[in-house]
Amino acid sequence: MTDIVPAGRGRAAGQDRLAGLVAAVRQARMSTWMVVALLVVAVAANASVQSNFFTPYAMTSTTATLVPLVLVALAQAVVVIGGGIDLSIGASVTVASVTAVVVMDGREDRLLVGALVAIAVGAACGLVNGLIIALLRLQPIIVTFATSSVFAGAALLVLPTPGGSVPATITRGYRDTLLGVPAGAWLLLATLALWFLLSRTRLVRHVYAVGGDPVASYASLIPVARVQVLSYVLCGALGGVAAVALLANSGSGDPFVGLGMTLDSVAAVVIGGIALSGGRGSGVGAVAGAITLALIENSIFFADVPTNYRPLVSGVVIIAALALSAFTMTDRRRRR
Amino acid sequence: MRGVRKRYGGVRALDGASLAADRGEVHGLLGPNGSGKSTLNKVLTGVVAADDAEITIDGTPVRITGPADAARLGIAAVYQQLTLLPELTVEQNVVLGVEPTTAGLLRGREVRATARACLDRLGDALEGVAPTTRVTDLNPGQQQLVELAKALARRPRVLVLDEATASLHSRQVDEVFRIVRELTADGVLVLFVSHRLDEVYEICDRATIVRSGRTVAEVAIADTPEQRLVELMVGRPAAGEEPATAPSEATGPTDAPDAGAPARPTAAPRPAPAADDAEAPALVTRGLTGPGFTGVDLTVRPGEIVGLGGLQGQGQSDLLLALFGARRVTGGEIELAGRPVRFRTPRQAARAGVALVPGDRGTQGLLSVRPIQENLSVVSLERRATARTVVRPARERAAAERMVDALAIKIGRLADPVSSLSGGNQQKVIVGKWLLAEPRLVLLDDPTKGVDVGAKAEIYDLMRSLAARGVAVIFNSSEDRELVELADRVVVLYEGRVRTEIPRDQLTVDALVASAFQVGVEEGRP
Amino acid sequence: MSTVTRPAPGVGAAPAAERAARLRRVARDPIVIAGAVTVALVVVGELVSPGFAGWGQIVNMLRVASFLGVVAAGQTIVILSGGGGIDLSVGKVATFAAIVGSRIMQGDDAGVVAGVVVPLAACALIGLGNGLGVTLLRIPPFVMTLGMTGVVYGLIMVYTNGRADGRAAPALTTLVNGELVLGLPGVLFLWAAIAVLVTWLLRRTTFGWRLFAVGASPEAAELSGVPVRRTVILAYVAGSVFAGLGGLLLVGYTESVMLNLADDYTMPAIAAVIIGGTLAAGGVGGYLGTAVGAVTLTVLTSLLTTLDIGSAWRTVVNGVVLVALLSFYGRQKRLRA
Repeated sequence: MTDIVPAGRGRAAGQDRLAGLVAAVRQARMSTWMVVALLVVAVAANASVQSNFFTPYAMTSTTATLVPLVLVALAQAVVVIGGGIDLSIGASVTVASVTAVVVMDGREDRLLVGALVAIAVGAACGLVNGLIIALLRLQPIIVTFATSSVFAGAALLVLPTPGGSVPATITRGYRDTLLGVPAGAWLLLATLALWFLLSRTRLVRHVYAVGGDPVASYASLIPVARVQVLSYVLCGALGGVAAVALLANSGSGDPFVGLGMTLDSVAAVVIGGIALSGGRGSGVGAVAGAITLALIENSIFFADVPTNYRPLVSGVVIIAALALSAFTMTDRRRRR
Repeated sequence: MRGVRKRYGGVRALDGASLAADRGEVHGLLGPNGSGKSTLNKVLTGVVAADDAEITIDGTPVRITGPADAARLGIAAVYQQLTLLPELTVEQNVVLGVEPTTAGLLRGREVRATARACLDRLGDALEGVAPTTRVTDLNPGQQQLVELAKALARRPRVLVLDEATASLHSRQVDEVFRIVRELTADGVLVLFVSHRLDEVYEICDRATIVRSGRTVAEVAIADTPEQRLVELMVGRPAAGEEPATAPSEATGPTDAPDAGAPARPTAAPRPAPAADDAEAPALVTRGLTGPGFTGVDLTVRPGEIVGLGGLQGQGQSDLLLALFGARRVTGGEIELAGRPVRFRTPRQAARAGVALVPGDRGTQGLLSVRPIQENLSVVSLERRATARTVVRPARERAAAERMVDALAIKIGRLADPVSSLSGGNQQKVIVGKWLLAEPRLVLLDDPTKGVDVGAKAEIYDLMRSLAARGVAVIFNSSEDRELVELADRVVVLYEGRVRTEIPRDQLTVDALVASAFQVGVEEGRP
Repeated sequence: MSTVTRPAPGVGAAPAAERAARLRRVARDPIVIAGAVTVALVVVGELVSPGFAGWGQIVNMLRVASFLGVVAAGQTIVILSGGGGIDLSVGKVATFAAIVGSRIMQGDDAGVVAGVVVPLAACALIGLGNGLGVTLLRIPPFVMTLGMTGVVYGLIMVYTNGRADGRAAPALTTLVNGELVLGLPGVLFLWAAIAVLVTWLLRRTTFGWRLFAVGASPEAAELSGVPVRRTVILAYVAGSVFAGLGGLLLVGYTESVMLNLADDYTMPAIAAVIIGGTLAAGGVGGYLGTAVGAVTLTVLTSLLTTLDIGSAWRTVVNGVVLVALLSFYGRQKRLRA
């Protein structure tokens, strides 16, 4: 076997990378373009109906609401790419956030600890999911539905009624701007950077493999069960981060906060061009999908649609977005 | 490897087989369909766990319980069934499972370099393929080569090539052989499993021949004429011996084969069908074109059995599927009993009296988890139902029992899942469900694949009796002998086009082989 | 699921071994397990809170289970159709039917027929939408029905202007709540009738046989001449119609309606189907199991309420028991040959 190419090939390697980028753009499939298109449409729609969309105030507020959603969508994306699904993510976010609130107890010096606790609790929830799914080999959809009950109940045990307070530093900082750009926007960028980092780990590469073809992965000596468990743990941990963002946004604890997030995260993932069957898609898509989803809702709010018609319009637009995304996903099992 | 044993359910796939090969050798592993040669090499690569096996590598005894063990021992394999992830790129696939990392992060440059090196090794074979291409965008031949690169990335001591050249064209095969010679020069042992004898002769030094789960001989290729090789594989001097068949991994348990008792699954040769020009031909196609085939002209008369010959994968299955409405026809015409038809769905074809026994029994032919009863009923359910809607269980049971008797299907109860039957009996169920629909044209895609001797004979008789009843039969087969046995005519396909038609009086295995290989000659291969 | 290859008739297997094997199979049958768990829960309930297993209580639990059972009938059919078949909109659709129906009825018997027919027709259309999205547009059922939930919610808001008014017709209420025989409320008989209907549909019609075929292997079914697309679409229509029926029965029970009346029925319906032994991948199963599953879940919830452990612990235990129940069966295949 010939030796590893010596380091003197730096320039050729750079050319390779550029070629790779060009190839990636050219190879971008329909589903990627659709994701981009939907995002552009959502932004344009929002900008057109909300006159102050681009003002600092509105941007701060918009991005502040976006961050938790984006993080939860990213969490869901990790699991879905691996071929599973996590219907308990909303509940894990909830239990993570209330635990953090209780630990922080409004004290500034406990801020960091609280955040770490949130991530740890989220990861623990993920571990529970992962172990049951990988070791007992049960269907993810049913398991995570069951564990969502468990986590939601646990949240109520930790914090029976909304309350508690979050240290002011984080709530203030969350709505602050840095260099004229809202903190929320920086955090969105940080999320993208986080995905960029994650996508270059062997774990995530293996998650793609396991989601794409578990049998081929096994034959390629990938530790399938371990990868599955870790994907749920990562999902839960990201949910924990989302919990911190939620706390920063709201300022207090709420044991009912995460419930709607689960289905939204799945919708975001689909709109973002990630196949529910696994093996394909990118975290960037999930981020785009979450933003698209949120901006759609926002647009409808600002578009002077009569209150009673808003859910219908929202429902129809979302189902259209879901349909377009799912439709442009080339079906691997194409018959003809 | 010594004393390797493996049972699948009631069948012994391997019964004390053995293999001995040296470093730097290209060692062939040969045997007829179902001989156990695939199982043997899968024991070595850890994909299959043997019941019993003594394996030594370089004199040290080893235990192989799974692919991880095999990999650790430096054993790599390239199978026809790929282990590539379609959505990942070529370079990502090549290093899959052995990615170089620092603290969990992939070392991108090293990945690219390793992949590049492996791909370079493949030389011209993968010309024009950028490492960043997604595997799903490559054609099957290129994908097979990427699979080879992936095996090479693990720096194996032993490389198993199991039918790895099946989807490659000659130039690619030459490149592969070049790599094989490089590997053996480096001391790597290459196990070459194939039934393409010309390739075996080109590349192998020695070979082990396996039959019915046992090793029957070990020969030096250079000293063994092809005739002798075939004799050893088949068990007796040429001329139509039917070896016992053990199950391949895709099929279920079979009835115990008559190991060592060679049986001819045939009766007397059947009389040629009376040429009745007054009756409209059952099927006429003109210039039929679709995915996998081009410009096919075919005429089949009622009562005729037409075989589709040529190397496997040359459009035979695609043609059959298209005739059945399961593939879109893009050009040409089809006439059924004189009337032009266009089938958009198999349902339309079935309604018109066409039946298809598909190539992949498990996924295409059977409702595996459903009972035998339902599998037999499914096609013709409407006919027997009241107002085409209400099912009468008694009627269904009677119809099913009728078929079970007529076809001598060995079952426990009708309510048992069809997956509990042996391959041959499953095939009979598939035929049975179609017989209940009284078809005019029956298409069979490799009907006796993975079927034991006894059932094979019964299926042959079935096909003959269908023809005798005036049904037109078209079938595709991976065994030339079968085509000779059954067909009135064989239409040889190459790359989706009709090359020759061999009438019965000129139909011999040699003629078929010659017509398939003539193609090879045209290609410039020896 | 493991199966035992029976010997051909005439080849005698030891009768005792045969019986033992059969017993083992029966013991692993999901319906039997669910039934046994239900009985166990009732026993525990009686021990913890005497009176739990009293006739009146049991009847009440069955009544509550019936609504879930009817909604889950539709879900059974959808899940049986395979291909990841699932209907996340059943809860919302049930609510929708209840709201539309009750508004048409306005507490008046004159409107009872329209109040049943119109909502069910609307549900059929919703199901048609789901079916078309899944078959023609190849949208994964999870996604399609998820989106449909939002659309139905929108329809509800438009129809009610945010205010749920409407009352069930007395005829409906009597039918559901009225005691017909043995002090058993009418809805139980209705449920039984629906169970018979659904089972008949599954076992005795071409639609039912084809449904199982499609669920078992859409490819093999297609290649056997089964009209796959049509069958799947009909399955989703059935899913929504039975959901609507469940909603109407529910509003007959509650008499007045709320905006989220049956929303929470979706996930329990899915759980009931899986507990009842229908494979999540489709192709195997039936309604009897779902019905038992519905009862099991209802008894569990009742038991937890009786235990007075607080709503938080209730949800936790609910989830844990569900996982435990599922781990008895429904395990997927190993990867190694």
